[in-house]
Amino acid sequence: MPPRVTFQPCGWQWNQDTPLNSEYDFALVNIGRLEAVSGLSRVQLLRPGSLHKFIPEEILIHGRDFRLLRVGFEAGGLEPQAFQVTMAIVQARAQSNQAQQYSGITLSKAGQGSGSRKPPIPLMETAEDWETERKKQAARGWRVSTVNERFDVATSLPRYFWVPNRILDSEVRRAYGHFHQGRGPRLSWHHPGGSDLLRCGGFYTASDPNKEDIRAVELMLQAGHSDVVLVDTMDELPSLADVQLAHLRLRALCLPDSSVAEDKWLSALEGTRWLDYVRACLRKASDISVLVTSRVRSVILQERGDRDLNGLLSSLVQLLSAPEARTLFGFQSLVQREWVAAGHPFLTRLGGTGASEEAPVFLLFLDCVWQLLQQFPADFEFSEFFLLALHDSVRVPDTLTFLRNTPWERGKQSGQLNSYTQVYTPGYSQPPAGNSFNLQLSVWDWDLRYSNAQILQFQNPGYDPEHCPDSWLPRPQPSFMVPGPPSSVWLFSRGALTPLNQLCPWRDSPSLLAVSSRWLPRPAISSESLADQEWGLPSHWGACPLPPGLLLPGYLGPQIRLWRRCYLRGRPEVQMGLSALTVSGLQDELSHLQELLRKWTPRISPEDHSKKRDPHTILNPTEIAGILKGQSHPFWITRC
Amino acid sequence: MLGKGVVGGGGGTKAPKPSFVSYVRPEEIHTNEKEVTEKEVTLHLLPGEQLLCEASTVLKYVQEDSCQHGVYGRLVCTDFKIAFLGDDESALDNDETQFKNKVIGENDITLHCVDQIYGVFDEKKKTLFGQLKKYPEKLIIHCKDLRVFQFCLRYTKEEEVKRIVSGIIHHTQAPKLLKRLFLFSYATAAQNNTVTDPKNHTVMFDTLKDWCWELERTKGNMKYKAVSVNEGYKVCERLPAYFVVPTPLPEENVQRFQGHGIPIWCWSCHNGSALLKMSALPKEQDDGILQIQKSFLDGIYKTIHRPPYEVVKTEDLSSNFLSLQEIQTAYSKFKQLFLIDNSTEFWDTDIKWFSLLESSSWLDIIRRCLKKAIEITECMEAQNMNVLLLEENASDLCCLISSLVQLMMDPHCRTRIGFQSLIQKEWVMGGHCFLDRCNHLRQNDKEEVPVFLLFLDCVWQLVHQHPPAFEFTETYLTVLSDSLYIPIFSTFFFNSPHQKDTNMHQRQLSLPLTQSKSSPKRGFFREETDHLIKNLLGKRISKLINSSDELQDNFREFYDSWHSKSTDYHGLLLPHIEGPEIKVWAQRYLRWIPEAQILGGGQVATMSKLLEMMEEVQSLQEKIDERHHSQQAPQAEGPCLLRNSARLSSLFPFALLQRHSSKPVLPTSGWKALGDEDDLAKREDEFVDLGDV
Repeated sequence: MPPRVTFQPCGWQWNQDTPLNSEYDFALVNIGRLEAVSGLSRVQLLRPGSLHKFIPEEILIHGRDFRLLRVGFEAGGLEPQAFQVTMAIVQARAQSNQAQQYSGITLSKAGQGSGSRKPPIPLMETAEDWETERKKQAARGWRVSTVNERFDVATSLPRYFWVPNRILDSEVRRAYGHFHQGRGPRLSWHHPGGSDLLRCGGFYTASDPNKEDIRAVELMLQAGHSDVVLVDTMDELPSLADVQLAHLRLRALCLPDSSVAEDKWLSALEGTRWLDYVRACLRKASDISVLVTSRVRSVILQERGDRDLNGLLSSLVQLLSAPEARTLFGFQSLVQREWVAAGHPFLTRLGGTGASEEAPVFLLFLDCVWQLLQQFPADFEFSEFFLLALHDSVRVPDTLTFLRNTPWERGKQSGQLNSYTQVYTPGYSQPPAGNSFNLQLSVWDWDLRYSNAQILQFQNPGYDPEHCPDSWLPRPQPSFMVPGPPSSVWLFSRGALTPLNQLCPWRDSPSLLAVSSRWLPRPAISSESLADQEWGLPSHWGACPLPPGLLLPGYLGPQIRLWRRCYLRGRPEVQMGLSALTVSGLQDELSHLQELLRKWTPRISPEDHSKKRDPHTILNPTEIAGILKGQSHPFWITRC
Repeated sequence: MLGKGVVGGGGGTKAPKPSFVSYVRPEEIHTNEKEVTEKEVTLHLLPGEQLLCEASTVLKYVQEDSCQHGVYGRLVCTDFKIAFLGDDESALDNDETQFKNKVIGENDITLHCVDQIYGVFDEKKKTLFGQLKKYPEKLIIHCKDLRVFQFCLRYTKEEEVKRIVSGIIHHTQAPKLLKRLFLFSYATAAQNNTVTDPKNHTVMFDTLKDWCWELERTKGNMKYKAVSVNEGYKVCERLPAYFVVPTPLPEENVQRFQGHGIPIWCWSCHNGSALLKMSALPKEQDDGILQIQKSFLDGIYKTIHRPPYEVVKTEDLSSNFLSLQEIQTAYSKFKQLFLIDNSTEFWDTDIKWFSLLESSSWLDIIRRCLKKAIEITECMEAQNMNVLLLEENASDLCCLISSLVQLMMDPHCRTRIGFQSLIQKEWVMGGHCFLDRCNHLRQNDKEEVPVFLLFLDCVWQLVHQHPPAFEFTETYLTVLSDSLYIPIFSTFFFNSPHQKDTNMHQRQLSLPLTQSKSSPKRGFFREETDHLIKNLLGKRISKLINSSDELQDNFREFYDSWHSKSTDYHGLLLPHIEGPEIKVWAQRYLRWIPEAQILGGGQVATMSKLLEMMEEVQSLQEKIDERHHSQQAPQAEGPCLLRNSARLSSLFPFALLQRHSSKPVLPTSGWKALGDEDDLAKREDEFVDLGDV
């Protein structure tokens, strides 16, 4: 059991299946602020010593996930216990802060049996996983490289990744040495139309590669395409510090006792810049999706560290362009591949190590996904509740998924480094007897934390599979591996493509990427699309449909919205009916639905059929009874 | 025939630039030149509608394209609307549902819908009004429903430009006489055609029976009575012919001050408390008259303070609450956020969207109205008090607040019929000056205040927050707001029922219309309120009104406790009014801005999914019914727009995916290559050079 604070309401039943699903559960790491209230005074509790002043009447636990727990002691003469309980929480929290490395929580195997019906999410820790995924994407020009099997190329890289067929492992090793932290170019996603989306770290400008190495680097970046676009990921996107600051501001704003006046709420929200960053991410992802879809080319996401925004962008691009990434299974695989396996430093970014590099990039990503879900409700198999569950899971220390910074650390913990060939499929394969370490749990084992009823809520009822997979036309793949240098090399920056003389910075001039261009305004902020700028478009767009499967999100002020179910959970006045992920919330919702269902079930009476509807009526859901009685369609008005 | 026009052959007169996009491609223009004259574009005229002037070879710009794209056509002005007729209608006419209804087409602007007209002279934008010395090369029309039209007149003949521009300016901007409203010509011409639907159950409140029915429905008939003292508007022109007052009130009191100072019943709550309204007594200087007024009011108050009447709380809406000027200022700022001349402007403001929104304070005004309505609801529901709304003429904020209170407290008002009856009762019969507040006649700009629109926006907040509590949707509200500017309905085109009855009546008798005076206004911008009543009643009221702190506490407690319980959609309904909860009525305000379109449909898509499922349930239900009542006649099936499960954009139902506006971000050829089977050969060509060069 992870260290936590929990409140058990009267009559609450301990549920063996779902140990952590109560809305009153707060893992210690999730506690952002602890306050004690007595009379009119309110004290923030930091150290065990800060409490001796008074006996609390009420304690407030502010979760870092925007939840709030208020526990009142005044009724029933609980003062002595109040003091003890509060002390205990403060002490436990102080201790958990000291122990910065969690000792890997081994949860009981509760729920393992029931969870094994679905195919497990590939953890991308074995070569087989990578090979399966490669085949699924039909990336024929690529192979799984085992060069990092012992984590000696880079500890932050996964043990396996995809490199072009023609490149030898020895070349890979040498080429990667010229990138920041050894994170060289590798395939993220192969577009069914033929384009490849790559990601890599920044060029290590201090190194002095020889001609062969440069050639290898160029070949890997080119990936056999004649058209190569280098995307400066950090350009126009917030820095880690920006993200952190915005998130802190957002949390302060959404606190129930935030001092912002009602009529100043909007400008305060704007002032956090969080929504600004969300839209910047969406805009960039949308641009990159255009680049990947419009022509067959190699698109390389380059971020200095390659562990934050690259993951965010490459995941968003896949969500926008690949219908299969929008399924529950696909999305979880995507997060596992682009974030967990790719070495996003979750522990540091979520504040687990107390280091200064805290920045909830992953939460920014979840917000972006939520925006997509809002805009394209028929295109995603998962629901808002799933995103909320994932959002809350990042601070629940029950699995290793979000508690390590690198695949290497994660592997070390689960003890799998000793046996390279072992295949891990939790719940499926039989782990060697007596070796309980090998039973590795991931965040995707939802039944550890949520009941079946809750997991059912992860499905989006509006999902319309018609718009989804298999809609890609099988297309002839252009012959792979173009001999010779690429015919055009571009740098994509500030919404425009600039021609580049060369891919690598080492030959003569320093790389363009070395010039910091971040947060400069676009040359001309306008509706002029990327495509316009690049191709000088022919006129008649007409009503051309988008290629099947591609989503282009809106990212204007009015279109980007606040994720209220997540961020406003702590505010009691807006709480009602918002948080449905809790047991009581679910019950409310269920009874509400049943009530609606009861209402909507028409009574069969001849009288009902005699009623005619006014064709001008526009209906809403409650009018179902009305619709059932009537004949004409509610939206008929538009055709009159 | 008037209805037919001849297309100006302008499409071919000037060779379009290569960058230029019209629906007609350049080569088509040339090849079709001879046929064009034979093709006739029909101008649809309503009964009684007359063509006033027209101009051909006008270029209508497609909004977002910084004046690069457009359609050639004819711009006409009738006594009802300004219309643009594209030369090639077939290009416009396809399966996509454009903004269109029985009266208004996509390119039609009713004269009353025009807000501002701008002309562009040498790249400079100027407001146009009055007599012009110089004629603009470009005409920009801002509409009250927030559409923006841009017409280029550069290729139009000079006389035609003069005629159409001065015609449009004259008919939309110049002060007008009431009798000139298109309403009258339409009513005369279409008299026989209008068939009132007998099944329309909206209560009009123009008969004594209607009021009695309402009294009975709300069980107010024990303490209140409907009176016909104003029949034929003998007593007062501001009051309806029939209305309801407290039973013991002597009818001659109504005559004393022409209906002023009389508590008029709006609605009764289930617990017996009632909502009343009163228009203030005229201000007088003379001490003698003041004395008379004082004793009169004392008498009135004695009547309504005595049992069986509940304790009365007076709510003076002329002071300590919104001023009409505030509302007008806020809306003028607010609407500018949505009246986009070109997309660059939109992108510029986009960065500061939230703070611009906030600085208009329109949303805050909505919040204050909702809050006031909740306060009154609290008094009636929790404290069992009568509330008396007091206002200068009892016809602006009185209408707004009393309607909101009824919406929150009376589930009947949340049905479509109930809502329409409510508007009829509180706004139309309540004497809201639609004509002046909408500035339909352009006689006095200062009178223009969007009070009714503010009301609809408040209702939208409620609908948005509690959709299952309402029979109607936001689309209904949007359409309703549009009908404010369509002068074929008499509902929103008079200042009072008296004005309507006298004018419509005269017309039917074909009497020459006398020049109607706009009803005399008593300066509603006056800041000081009627101190008279306050002074007279000061002491009495102070006993009843809690200190403001206590009031706030009551409010808070009532508000919090309601929101902490689960919602009964058939009972009391309160809105959330916290900062994040008051939102922009996106459907109304953003629907014409293509950039704001959400391609995935957003909530509209969720809604359509729901409707699809409902249809499924319906068809199943019908099957069951067939088995049970096989003798019943089969039901006629309405044509269905959604059954093909078309993807809807967020602009639905005002447009499906907007054709010329949703500019795909990728080149056409790319799409075709991905999607079009017929294009196989072409597709191969394209990909060869991509891969192999």
